[in-house]
Amino acid sequence: MTITPVDVVNLLINGSIDGLLIALPTLALTLVMGIARFPNAATGDYMTVSAYAGIGVQALGGASILLAGLGAVAAGAAISIVFYLWVFRALRGRAPVASLVASIGVAFFARSMLTLFVGHDQHTFSVPLVRAWNFGGIRVLPTDLYVAAVALLVMLLLFAMLHMTPIGRQMRALADNPDLARACGIRSGRVLLALWATVGALCALGGMMFGIKAVVSPELGWELLIPAFAAMIVGGIGSPIGAVAGAVLLGIASELSVPFVGPSYKIAVAFALLLLVLLLRPRGLFGKPIVAR
Amino acid sequence: MTAYLVAVGIVALIYMLLTIGLNLQYGYTGLINFGVVAFFAIGAYTSALLALHGWWLVPAFGVATVVAAIVAYPIGLLSLRLSDEYLAVVTLGFSEVVRIAIQQEEWLTKGVQGLPGIPRMFAFMGVGGDADVAILAVLVACNVAVIGLMLHLVRSPYGRLIQAIRDDEVAVEAMGKDPRRLKVQVFMLGAGLAGLAGAFYAHFITYLSPDQFLPLVTFYVWIAMIIGGTGRTTGAVAGSLLLLVFLEGSRFARDWVPGVSEVQMASVRLALVGLGLVLFTLYRPQGLMGSRR
Amino acid sequence: MSAPGRVRASRNHAGVLLAASGVNKHFGGFKVLDDVSFEVGAGRLVGIVGTNGAGKSTLFAVVSGRLDSDAGSVTFAGDDITRLDPVRRARLGLGRTFQVPREFAHLTVRENFLVAAHCEYGETLRSVFGGWRRVDREQRALRERADGWIEFLGLMHVAGEPAGSLSGGQKKLLELGRMLMTEPRCILLDEPFAGVNPVLVEQISQCIRDLNATRGIAFVVIEHHLTALKALVQHLYVMDRGRVIADGDPASVLAQPRVLEAYMGGVI
Repeated sequence: MTITPVDVVNLLINGSIDGLLIALPTLALTLVMGIARFPNAATGDYMTVSAYAGIGVQALGGASILLAGLGAVAAGAAISIVFYLWVFRALRGRAPVASLVASIGVAFFARSMLTLFVGHDQHTFSVPLVRAWNFGGIRVLPTDLYVAAVALLVMLLLFAMLHMTPIGRQMRALADNPDLARACGIRSGRVLLALWATVGALCALGGMMFGIKAVVSPELGWELLIPAFAAMIVGGIGSPIGAVAGAVLLGIASELSVPFVGPSYKIAVAFALLLLVLLLRPRGLFGKPIVAR
Repeated sequence: MTAYLVAVGIVALIYMLLTIGLNLQYGYTGLINFGVVAFFAIGAYTSALLALHGWWLVPAFGVATVVAAIVAYPIGLLSLRLSDEYLAVVTLGFSEVVRIAIQQEEWLTKGVQGLPGIPRMFAFMGVGGDADVAILAVLVACNVAVIGLMLHLVRSPYGRLIQAIRDDEVAVEAMGKDPRRLKVQVFMLGAGLAGLAGAFYAHFITYLSPDQFLPLVTFYVWIAMIIGGTGRTTGAVAGSLLLLVFLEGSRFARDWVPGVSEVQMASVRLALVGLGLVLFTLYRPQGLMGSRR
Repeated sequence: MSAPGRVRASRNHAGVLLAASGVNKHFGGFKVLDDVSFEVGAGRLVGIVGTNGAGKSTLFAVVSGRLDSDAGSVTFAGDDITRLDPVRRARLGLGRTFQVPREFAHLTVRENFLVAAHCEYGETLRSVFGGWRRVDREQRALRERADGWIEFLGLMHVAGEPAGSLSGGQKKLLELGRMLMTEPRCILLDEPFAGVNPVLVEQISQCIRDLNATRGIAFVVIEHHLTALKALVQHLYVMDRGRVIADGDPASVLAQPRVLEAYMGGVI
C-alpha cells in the first residue's frame, strides 16, 4: 500500500495529539516514580474513575464541560489522596515491589467499585459537535485540538508549579535527594500530600481528555498504563520533560506504525520501544544515569 | 454434585500448577512475573492448535510446555537487566501484547471468535462423568509429581542457591557465583509449568478465546500464592485451593443474594482480589517476601 | 578457638597479592577517588582508615568489581582484573564482606555457609532431576567443612536459625565464615567492628589473626575503630577526601600531624 505525504501528516498530527494526552498520565507516573520510587499501576484507574466523575457531573450539572472537568479533578485528587493515606504511606519504608503489588490491588479495587456502583456502560461527554477541518486531505478535528491544547496548558501549569512555587521546589528536592531534603527541613508529609493531589489531578485531566476525544469506558485507564509506562521509560524516569517528550515520541511512533501493523498493535509498538530503550539506553532521553546493578 | 466437585477440582489443580510455577519464580528466586497468563495462553493455544491438526494429546502437551519455556527465554534474559519493578511492568506488558497478538492473528487463533472443538482429554470416555474423573486423576498425579520435584528442589544445593539469589544477589556474586544462569532457568521452568497448565485447560474447556487470558488471571495466581504463603510449595497448594473456594463461592453467593447479576459478581470478585492484594501487602508482609535491599 | 584445616606458615615474602594503582572515580562533578594506590602483600594485614566520605567504601567497590573506575588499574596475583566482574574476581580468590551485613536472611546459618561453597555438580539444574547420590556425596563433604567454620566462629548454637534473626555482630561473623567457605586468598573487610560489642570485636580480631597466621589469608580492613585496628594490622593507609594522605606502620602513621589534622572534626 502506498502512503502519501498527506497520510504521513495526518498520522503525525494524530500521533502528536495522542502523545500530548498520554503525557498526562505519564507525568503522573514519573512524578510518583521520582518521589515515591515505584510504578503506580493504579494511575490508569485513577483516570477512569475521574472521567466517570466528569460524566456524572455533566449529567447532573448541565452541559458545562468546565464543571465536569472540575468535578473530575476533584474526584481524581480525592481518590489519589485517599489511597496514599490508606495504602502507600504505610508502605514507604518497604521495597518498591510492595507498593507496586499494592497499586495493582488499588487499581482493581477502584475499577471494581466503579463498575459495581456505576456500571460497565460506555459514556461520552456532550461536547459541541464540530466538523473536521480539511486542508487538502489533512484532517484536523477541532475537538482534538481542544483537548491537546488543554493538555499543553496543564503541562505548563505543572512545570510552573514545579519550578516556581515553593511546594514544587520541595517536590523536586525530595525527588533528587530525600535525605538531604529532610535534613533541610522539608516536611515530606505535606509535600507528599501535594504530590498525590497533583498526580490525581493529572490523571483526572488525562482521563477527561481521552474521554472527550473518544469514549469513557471502564478499561480506559488500564489500557493506557503500559503506553504511559513505556513513555516514562523512553523519556527518562523522574524527568517531567522526559515524560512529555517520551509520550509524544511514542504517540507519533505508534501512529506511524498503524499503516504497517494496524491500529490494534499500538500498545505492542509502545512495548517494543520500551524494551529497546531498556536494553540500549536504560536512562531514556532525559533521565539520570542509572548506577550499574 | 460429584460431577460439579470433580470439575472444580480440575480447575483448582490447573491453578495449582500455575501457582507452584509462580512460587518457584517469585517465592524461591525473587523474580517478579506479572505475565503468568501469557505463558498459560501460549501453552493452551499451542496444544489446542496441534491437537486440532491431528496431534495426540501427550506430545501436544509436551510441545506446549516446551514452547512456553522457550518463549520465556528472552524474557528471562531481560530479567537479568531489569530490577524488580521494571521486570514486573515489562512482564505485564508482555502478557498484554501476547493477548493482543492472539486477538489479531485470526488466521492462526481465530481471534475473538475463539477456537472451538478442541479435543477433550479422555474423549473416548465421553464427556463428563468418568472422563472428568480420569482427567482429575491425571492432574492429581501431575501435581503430585511437580510438588515432589519442588520439595526436592528447594532442599537441594540448586534450591539453596536460588533462594540465596532471592535474598541477596549482590552477596551471591561476592561469593563468586553467577546468578544469571539460574535466574533464566527458573524463569523458563516456571513458564513451562504455566504452559502445561494451559494445555490441561485447553483440553478440558475445549474452547479458547483471548478474553480468557486477561491480566486478572495472573493476579488470581498471585493472590493464591500470597494467601497460601509465598516461598513455600505447600503454600502454593493451599493458596490455589483457597482461590477456587473463593471463585466458586462467589458464584454460589449469587444464589443467596438476590438481584446480583453475573457482571456485578465479577466486579465483586475483582474488588476482593484488589482488596486482598492491598491488605496482604499492608498487613502480612511475609506474604510478599521482598527481602532484597 | 583455632582455625580448622592444615596449618600453613604465613607467607610474608615480598609477593604483592592485591594492588590498586592510580584509581580515579567521579560521581557527577565530584571526585570521590583521586589517584589512589595501595598494595597488599600475600598474607599481610592491611588497614584503611579515613573520615566519612573519604572514599574508602568506594575504593572497595572498585577493587571488588562492583563499580568501574574512571582510570587506574587493579591487579590480583599478578593478573590485571580491572575489567573483570565481581563474580570472576571472587572466583580468583578475592573475597569481601559488606558494611551492612548481607546475610541470606531466609536461609539458616548453616545453609548460608553451605551455599557459599563451590558445588561443581549440585548447583546445576541437571542435579535436581538426577545424579542424587553424587550430590549427596558433595554435600556431606561440604557439611563437614561448614560445621568446622561454624564452630570456629562460635556460631554453632545458632546454626539452625534463620540468618535474619542473628544479632549484628553475629551477622558479621557469618559473612566472614561465608567468605571462608570460598577459600579466598584475600578478604576485603568493610567495617567488621561497626556496631559490635567489645567482646565480639576482640573475638573477630582474634579470628582474623588466626586465619592470617594459619591459612595465610591476606586481609584489607576498613575501620573507624582505630584502637582495634591498630592492634590488628601491619600496614595502615589513611584516606582523606578521596586521596591517600599517609601510609606506613600504624603507630607512626597515626602520630603524623597531617593525619591528626584530617581527623579533626571527623568521626574516629
